[in-house]
Amino acid sequence: MRDGIKRRDFLKVLGASGAGAGLVGCSTEDVERLLPYVVPPEEITPGVATWYASVCGECAAGCGIWVRTREGRAVKIEGNPAHPVAHGGLCSRGHASLQGLYNPDRFAGPMVRDGASLRQISWEEAEGMLAARLQSAGGDVLLLHGRAGPTLRDVMDSFVTAAGGTRVEFDGLADEPLREAARIALGRDVIPVFDFESARFVVSFGADFLDTWLSPAGNGRGFARMSGVDDHGSKGEFVFVGPRLSLTGLNADEWVPINPGSEGLVALAMANVIAADGAGAGPYADVLSAHDPSTVAGATGISAETIEDLANRFVANAPSLAVGPGVAGQHRGATAANLAVLVLNAVAGNVGRTLHVQGGGQSSPSGSYARVEAAIAAMSSGSVGVAMVHGVNPAYSLPTASGFAGAFGGVGFKVSFASAMDETAALADLILPDAHTLEAWGDSNPRPGVFAIQQPVMQPVPHFDSKATGDVLLSASAAAGRDLGAANMQDHVRARWGQLHEASGAAQPFDDWWRASLKAGVVEVPLATTAEAVTLRSPDAALTFDAPALDGDGEFTLLVYPSPRFGDGEHSNRPWLLELPDPVSKITWHSWLEIHPDAAAGLGLRNGDIVTVSSPHGSLEVPVWTYPGVRADTVALAMGGGHDDFGRYATGHGVNAMALLPAEAEQLSGGLVRLGTRVAVTPTGTHRRLATIEGSDSQSNRPIAPAVALADLGHAEEEGAEEGGHGQHMEIQEGGGFVPVPTDGLPQDYPLAGQEYGGYADDHPRWAMAIDLDKCTGCSACVVACQSENNVPWVGEDQVLMGRDMGWMRIERYYDHVDATHAGHLDVRFLPMLCQHCNNAPCEPVCPVFAAYHTPDGLNGQVYNRCVGTRYCANNCPYKVRVFNWYRYTDQIPEPMNWQFNPDVTVRDNGVMEKCSFCVQRIRESQNRAVLEGREVHDGEVVPACQQSCPAEAIVFGNIKDSSSRVARVSENERTYRVFDAFINTQPAVTYLKKVTFHEVSDGGHG
Amino acid sequence: MALATEQPRGALSHPDVQSYAEVNRDILAILGRPGLGWWALFSVAAAGVLLFFGSWGWQIYAGIGVSGLNSPIGWGVYITCFVFWVGIAHSGTLISAILFLFRAPFRQSIYRAAEAMTVFAVMTAGLFPLVHLGRVWHAYWLIPYPNSRFLWPNFRSPLVWDVFAVTTYFTVSAVFFYLGTIPDLAAARDAATGLRKKLYQVTALGWRGTDREWHHFGKAYIFLAALATPLVLSVHSVVSWDFAMSIVPGWHATIFAPYFVAGAIFSGVGMVITLVVPLRRVFHLEHYLTVKHFDAMAKLCLLTSMIVFYAYVTEYFMAWYSGEEVERAAFWHRAFGHYWWANWIMLICNGMVPQMLWFKRVRHSIPALFVISIFINIGMWFERFVIFVTSLHHEYEPFAWGVYRPSLTEMGILVGSFCWFGFWFLLFTRILPPVAIAELKEVLPPPLRGRTREGAAS
Repeated sequence: MRDGIKRRDFLKVLGASGAGAGLVGCSTEDVERLLPYVVPPEEITPGVATWYASVCGECAAGCGIWVRTREGRAVKIEGNPAHPVAHGGLCSRGHASLQGLYNPDRFAGPMVRDGASLRQISWEEAEGMLAARLQSAGGDVLLLHGRAGPTLRDVMDSFVTAAGGTRVEFDGLADEPLREAARIALGRDVIPVFDFESARFVVSFGADFLDTWLSPAGNGRGFARMSGVDDHGSKGEFVFVGPRLSLTGLNADEWVPINPGSEGLVALAMANVIAADGAGAGPYADVLSAHDPSTVAGATGISAETIEDLANRFVANAPSLAVGPGVAGQHRGATAANLAVLVLNAVAGNVGRTLHVQGGGQSSPSGSYARVEAAIAAMSSGSVGVAMVHGVNPAYSLPTASGFAGAFGGVGFKVSFASAMDETAALADLILPDAHTLEAWGDSNPRPGVFAIQQPVMQPVPHFDSKATGDVLLSASAAAGRDLGAANMQDHVRARWGQLHEASGAAQPFDDWWRASLKAGVVEVPLATTAEAVTLRSPDAALTFDAPALDGDGEFTLLVYPSPRFGDGEHSNRPWLLELPDPVSKITWHSWLEIHPDAAAGLGLRNGDIVTVSSPHGSLEVPVWTYPGVRADTVALAMGGGHDDFGRYATGHGVNAMALLPAEAEQLSGGLVRLGTRVAVTPTGTHRRLATIEGSDSQSNRPIAPAVALADLGHAEEEGAEEGGHGQHMEIQEGGGFVPVPTDGLPQDYPLAGQEYGGYADDHPRWAMAIDLDKCTGCSACVVACQSENNVPWVGEDQVLMGRDMGWMRIERYYDHVDATHAGHLDVRFLPMLCQHCNNAPCEPVCPVFAAYHTPDGLNGQVYNRCVGTRYCANNCPYKVRVFNWYRYTDQIPEPMNWQFNPDVTVRDNGVMEKCSFCVQRIRESQNRAVLEGREVHDGEVVPACQQSCPAEAIVFGNIKDSSSRVARVSENERTYRVFDAFINTQPAVTYLKKVTFHEVSDGGHG
Repeated sequence: MALATEQPRGALSHPDVQSYAEVNRDILAILGRPGLGWWALFSVAAAGVLLFFGSWGWQIYAGIGVSGLNSPIGWGVYITCFVFWVGIAHSGTLISAILFLFRAPFRQSIYRAAEAMTVFAVMTAGLFPLVHLGRVWHAYWLIPYPNSRFLWPNFRSPLVWDVFAVTTYFTVSAVFFYLGTIPDLAAARDAATGLRKKLYQVTALGWRGTDREWHHFGKAYIFLAALATPLVLSVHSVVSWDFAMSIVPGWHATIFAPYFVAGAIFSGVGMVITLVVPLRRVFHLEHYLTVKHFDAMAKLCLLTSMIVFYAYVTEYFMAWYSGEEVERAAFWHRAFGHYWWANWIMLICNGMVPQMLWFKRVRHSIPALFVISIFINIGMWFERFVIFVTSLHHEYEPFAWGVYRPSLTEMGILVGSFCWFGFWFLLFTRILPPVAIAELKEVLPPPLRGRTREGAAS
């Protein structure tokens, strides 16, 4: 036999090395964990989403939500269309709830203070510790909590009663003066329900009802239906009366920039004009007669004629509605001011028409700053043995001057139920992290007759050993030998809903009704109609309507307003919201002080110059942002910035306005005084660049967001020649060799002449979108919805400063006419800008590798895997809607925040271009479902994330080749135009409907 | 006879060069042992090459976010450098090919350096499209190659045209350059010893200087010259279409192709002056590179400067005349907006400073020409910066306007690219005869038996 390798050995070696190579090639380090489901969880089909109805827990509005879960993880929140609060709309904070659920800064488990640091312990140990402390405290228990559903509030009540102590409720955004005014004037201790939709003329005395006030998503829907022009060419009018234009203010047709704090006077003077003889004013006739327009004109800063004119239109355009002054306007006479507005509504006959106080079904939260003040006093005096805080962060959100931190710190045993670190938890001895609202049972009763179950939508996120506070209270009580009924929250909710089942008179057995309610997410119980008419009642308290006193003698009145992104600061640790451009200023991440350009010029300030703002109560340093929408004698600062200890994203960004405010409760309602001080503004000589996404606030004579005057509607021909359609510019091109075919993109234009490629052959739809700018309020909910749906990363302040924000949508905000010096018309244009999916897309021919290409159904596809990153497409995009992955931004997203990623959408790599896809994954999902069910895709079946979220119902999506589709019908409108189409013939698939104004439109658009 | 009044050959261009032997001696002396100065420069260049590849490597590792680019300014320093270096390359071909075809007598002394400059500038330019890619590891997708997925590049995209234009240009100019050096390599071979000799032996392809070889060489050279000539026009036209084919206000202009070609020649001649002045001084080539050569280059600069300036004026005029708001605003912002300074650097360096070349005294002053050529280099770099960056920063959508500031990484790559170019050029001066020996001899009086001691051509 010869030496060397035998045939068999050779084959053995070959086989072994081949197998080895195969193993090396395929294996991952975690290969042993790749086990399939042995027992598959019920209701989970891999690749198919499961939806659960629940309730949004981010503010007191209590919007109904649907949560989309994939493989047991919540990935997207949408509004529940069946829920009567917002009818399917959801605001940016609601979407960002997912970043609270998956927030990497949540506590890993119960924590106990061990000297300066915290040590994690087990729930048994923690609950034992709590029970022992409650025993030894012997009745000196203080439970300070924020928003709570009815069942949780019941549980808290029984807990506090059993343990002996007090329960104090406090919600930073609650409008206590309004509730108190409703009680005084109308005899109902409830927050009235404002029906914007039914009104034809709305006056807001500073209430930010589209930003944060009461129920912004629901208000947004009603407001858009009121103010959007209807098919008959009629539209409701909105006048904003206040010193600063909030997002709400920017949507007004007219701005009356009154002196801060004089809302009540204006309302009374208007009521005086309306009820000249005192008729209808009931017990307030004397008050009205003392406040005629000429008397109050001086104090309000506007002329008597303006007030008279406003009053006359208020009655002439019935039904009307007046709201305000809202949370930012809570001053020392806030209850009186609210009452004045209610009186105005009453004399104009709006009570019962657009303003409802019917139904006493709502349990009455007994919260106010005055009660917190008392609790602070009790803690300071040492009469509190155990202080427990749930759902609020008073060490941050109360004025520094309140002394909460010191008083709380002095309590013997402090318990925090915060699920993630906050300034209050940082002082606590024991932290019992609460489950997120998406993980726990609860319920909600946002307004009389509306009930919803807060159902857990997924198993608790395993990274965090949390426990719902209701369950903790129940087990702590049980451990202390005090039985509070059912052992857990789920049973408590069921038990409570058992009573509701009886009250509702439903015919179904309870179990069926309960399941149906869980599925629907909401139950409406008819209200018992009281025969008693709601009339004005004599005041049982002393009211003064004069402009309130302000502390200090600074040059500017300080207006502190709840942030549309962060509320009072509880949402500040959510990168989606931090990077969401503020709807007004378009600034991200940091805080800014709004100051009128004239005032800024007087101080020699430019955008980003840092100033010291000092009130008698404190001072802080913040960069200024010049804003024509604030009076020259007022400066405004948003809440929500300047956290010291609130997680990795919030900490270090911005300033906390609470440092400047007095710690004072309004006399009548006990609400916190926010408009209470004057401040001095001193330049420091330093500068900080503001991370804004705004390149210019002027349209520069380009017809990007044109408008049409209401009076000109119906005169489409002249209008079209001026601003919209294809004017003289086409003539030049028609002489040449290549003749682009102008088209309006309407159903009859398909198939497009001259389009041979991507030519929308008969069997393909042409997806298109219509956006009604007369409805869009600029609230930016769509921006976060898009980010959530499409795995759009956030990039951080430094990257935004470099101009690298990744949003697939942006809400452009252009000033057309903003004048803070006197009452007059206001014209600010909002324009949601997203990929226009052009027929003649400039991005497509320039891509060297076909990464940008045209699908047969008209989409501008973007193949991420094919993109090499030349960025030519972005350079050539006139709309600048393409965004580039300068880094692998998703790398910085920590566990478990990446659990939120939508598995239907690719996570993009470093170096590729991306942009709006018209939610192509949803289109394909609908098409696949239609194929499986052997049918066509219905009109309205494909709903992109932005449209779904839009509270204003401004966005319509569908197949424009189908002339019966909604998008085609909406696009067949004289207000229709397409941005830049008239002179670069891009033929976008997004048609906009012009904003309609009451005043003459001065901008002729493109000349 | 008429010949009696003729000057001896070569007298016009090189009055001080006497003999073939002198040429060999002087030029080949450059290839000798380098001095300290060369080593110092070479060290700087080599360090710069490390800087270039270090910065680029860092960018590949970390992401192209380490540049200052953003939305809306997707192209900045990198594309500026790309077009700048492609432009530099052009005058080399112009001098070597076009002037060869036109038998311009001043080209012999400078064309070798100019041609080397062309090759190295294309080598530099060709890096930048790679540097600016988000995913450079997929750059080969721009090349049409058969593949199982039947994926081809998009032939409608000017960037694909660019790939063809630049690779063609590099191939042709490199071949042309190499072909022209063969007789000189043979001359160097004959003078060299040791390793160098081996190198030249291989690269000279066994050149013996026979009549047949010269015959073929001449034919090949003229064919390649003819082939390279249209490239001078086409390559930069294609490069200009990267911009002109877009709809960006400030880019979308029909004048771009001639405008860019003129600019390329302008910048290229400027760069030739910048390179040749020190070369002449260090290697004592005053006899070979005479004032007359510089005078001719200066005139070419003056001409192209005026063409370029005319193009600037045309752009502004057309922006105004078009009546387009967007176009007008773009040019208003070019002159008076955020980047006004770049625009004025461009106008002064390219439009005003070269006007001094009207004066013969300036054209005949080597230091003055050197200074002017530096201005031209700066101006032409900023010309591209102005076109790309200012047009992008102020486009259609006012809300999306933005500004861009180059990052340190970009600066490192910018500086590194000059060093990369210098690195090759310095090597060139020591390895290849920087002045064409053979062609110089063509214009010198031939060695005749009675007039020379050596009696034979090298």
